[in-house]
Order: sequence, then structure tokens, then C-alpha cells
Amino acid sequence: MHIMEGFLPIRHAIGWSAVSAPFVAYGLYTINKRVKEYPEQRMLLGVAAAFTFVLSALKMPSVTGSCSHPTGTGLGAIMFGPAAMAPIGMVVLLFQAILLAHGGLTTLGANIFSMAIVGPFAAAAIYRTAQAVRLPFGVAIFLAASLANLLTYVTTSAQLAFAFPDPSGGFAVSFAKFAGVFAITQIPLAISEGLLTVVVMNALVRFNARELQEMKVTVVQEVQA
Amino acid sequence: MLTEQSAYTNRWRRVSPFAKGCFSLCGMIASFAAGSPRTALLVALIMTTTTTVGAGIPPLRYLRVASPALLFLAASGVSLFISLDFGSSTGGISIHPALGELPHIAMVCCRSLASLTSLLFLALTTPLPDIISLLRRCKFPDTLLDLMFLCYRTLFVLSEAVHETIIAQSSRLGYATVTLSLRSLGGLIANLTIQVWQRSQALHLAAMARNSDGALKFLENSYPHSAKSISIAATAGVLTITMAVMLP
Repeated sequence: MHIMEGFLPIRHAIGWSAVSAPFVAYGLYTINKRVKEYPEQRMLLGVAAAFTFVLSALKMPSVTGSCSHPTGTGLGAIMFGPAAMAPIGMVVLLFQAILLAHGGLTTLGANIFSMAIVGPFAAAAIYRTAQAVRLPFGVAIFLAASLANLLTYVTTSAQLAFAFPDPSGGFAVSFAKFAGVFAITQIPLAISEGLLTVVVMNALVRFNARELQEMKVTVVQEVQA
Repeated sequence: MLTEQSAYTNRWRRVSPFAKGCFSLCGMIASFAAGSPRTALLVALIMTTTTTVGAGIPPLRYLRVASPALLFLAASGVSLFISLDFGSSTGGISIHPALGELPHIAMVCCRSLASLTSLLFLALTTPLPDIISLLRRCKFPDTLLDLMFLCYRTLFVLSEAVHETIIAQSSRLGYATVTLSLRSLGGLIANLTIQVWQRSQALHLAAMARNSDGALKFLENSYPHSAKSISIAATAGVLTITMAVMLP
């Protein structure tokens, strides 16, 4: 769910870019550190950005019968870490704006914040919490992927409500309006993305355990979808 | 991708990307500087005409590229037009049109349209590697630019792999039902994840075999009459901004 080009007032566009910039800078710092230690990761992260872009072009069946595309924020955060997802997300969102006219340059900061910062960090936090309280691995993956998707859309609704408060009810009413309108499609999609991520991890564990170990992803048991 | 086809085949392919980036940026500034929906629409018209008539992008292709964004803009406009009332006399939530907000909504939508046409001007006339070169000149961090180059060069390879896998899965009725679709898509993404790792290892080996010292360096294109193009683009851009500021 992207905010389209020119839709946000200029102060909001600049403000969200300023908020996102430190996260992207920190992400670049962690990537540089990783690349110094493991030079082969430079190529991996570049190809991972292409992978995330290609994921957004796939059609995912939704539980309501409609279809949309996976965001890949949950999967990316688990595979590559949440900090690295900010610069990767920035590249993907920039490519989507230029190659597909989806999103935009003036709204890049706001879209980075919701999709490449809130989503991946939420996914990583939920995944770690779920592991800490010893939830089954499949449940942890499902919760991380679906709640990350959901939080991304809640953040976008809040950004829109902040920019366009309701004339009578202000931010709260406007947030309820945007969240309500998008909930019809986003809640089923979040569930679908959660299920899909479980299926992906299941397939990875079953057929590619050695590669996962070499990629330093700590998956130890098969997931039940 | 239609955008890529246009970017490589348009009339202004050999014009300096700095000039095209400058004009596009001026278009975006003019969109935000416009004081009325009419002025914003005029900016949109200027940018669209420049793209279709100047750069020679066929209008139908332009419309095909713009149509998803235009549909999204229409949906966003409708969501702004709807207003909720939680304190209605019946105690429930009532939905009513925000008629008083119409001028504001019109302004937002027209500004967004003008800004979109400015983005499309850049996207349809300038190939992505040229935009990345432009960002390199603007001193963007090397790591970010390396990510962009690698992403651009591998996304078509991965897209082809996805296309072929979907054909193979579909020919075995992999997408016949919703459950099968979810399972096939999961298998496809899992396979792609491993391909990402394998391809990146192969790229790393290839780079090491060529004495790579880390950062990826590419030869940059040279553009004839670059200074002239930039001055023409800057003048046109400043005129567009001035018009947007001056008109009511």
C-alpha cells in the first residue's frame, strides 16, 4: 500500500523523509560493516533487492477471493535482518516509482517509513518475542509476516490521517476512515501473506536446509502451514 | 516493462539525464507551488505534452503506463471525499460526503496529477542506469548505488526465472485452486530465495576473478551538447515554476 506521487503536502513529504533518513543511514552503516566482514554479502544484498522487487510483481491469492502482491517485509526481515531492509526497501520503492509509477519520489520518505522501517522492525520484534515465549516456529513466522503487513497498512493510514485530518473529528476520525476503507482488502491480505511466508519457510527448511545454514538463517525445524 | 521500452527508444534518449532530471524536478516544484487546481492541471498538461510531443512517447503507451496510478488517484480522492460521523443521533456511525472539502480535495488530486506527470516525464525518457549515474554525480552513497545497480541488473533475470517457473507449475495445474496456488507460490518463492543466494555467490566469484576491490564501477555514457541541454531544461523548468507561482 503506497502513498502516490504528490499526494502528501510538502511539509509532510519533507518531514517523513527526515524521519526515514537516519534509519536508511543506519541500515547502510550495518551493510557496510557486514560487507567488510563478509565481502560476498554485497552481491547477496543487491540480488535481495531485486528479489523483493520481483516479489511485488507476483499475484498472491487472498482469502476473500481477490488477489494482490506479497510485500515481502516479514520474509526479508527474517532472512536479511530489519536494519538492512531500510536501504533495500528504499531501492525497491525507488524502482517501483520509476519503473511502475507505483508510489512516488516526493512520497518516498513516507513509504520507506511504513514499508521498509515499521514493517521489517515489527516483523523482527514479533518473531523474536514469539521465539522467546516458545511459540511454535510456524506460529512465530505467521505472526511476524502477517502483523508486519498489518502494521505497514496501519502506519500508512496514520500518515494519511495526519496529512488529511477530518474537518469535524480530526486525526482520530480520519484514521478510522482510512483504516476502515483499507481494512477490507488489507486484513485478508495480511493473513494470506502470513500463510504464504509459512509455506515458503516450510519449503526452504525441507529442501534447502544446507543453503539456509550457509546463509546464516537459524531455522531448525519444519513449519506446519 | 513499458517504462523501460520507452526510456530506451524515445527521441530524447541521448539528451543528458541531468537536463531531464532538472526539468522533472522543476515540474514537481511547480506542482507544489501551484495555487489552484487549474494551475496544477496546466503544469500537468505542460509535462504531458513535453513527454508525448517532445520526447515522442506514443499517447496510448503513456496512458497505459499512467492508468494504474490514475485509478489509484481516483480511489484516494474518493476516500478523502467520504467523511465519518461518530456522534450521529442514532448512536451509530454515519457516512456522508464532505462537500465543504471539495475545493481542498480537488487541489490535492490536481497537485498529485501534476507531480505524477513530472515523474512520468523522467521515467519514460531516462533509462534507470542513467538515473543511477545521475545520483552518483549527486554524491549518493556508493553502497546504495551498488545495491541499485545489482538490483537493476538481476531483476530481469529473476523475472525470467519466475515466468518460467510459473509456466512449469501452471502446466501441472499448480494454480488450479486457491490452496494449490498458495502452495505453488510458496514453492516458487522458496526456490527463488535459494536462487538469490546461488546467483549472488556466482556474481561474487565472477567479480573476484576480475580482481574486484569492492565497489562496482561502470563506464559512464557521454552526451552531446550536454551544457546546452541543461540550460534549455533549466530555463523551461524555471519558466514553469514562475508560471505556477504567478497564476492564481
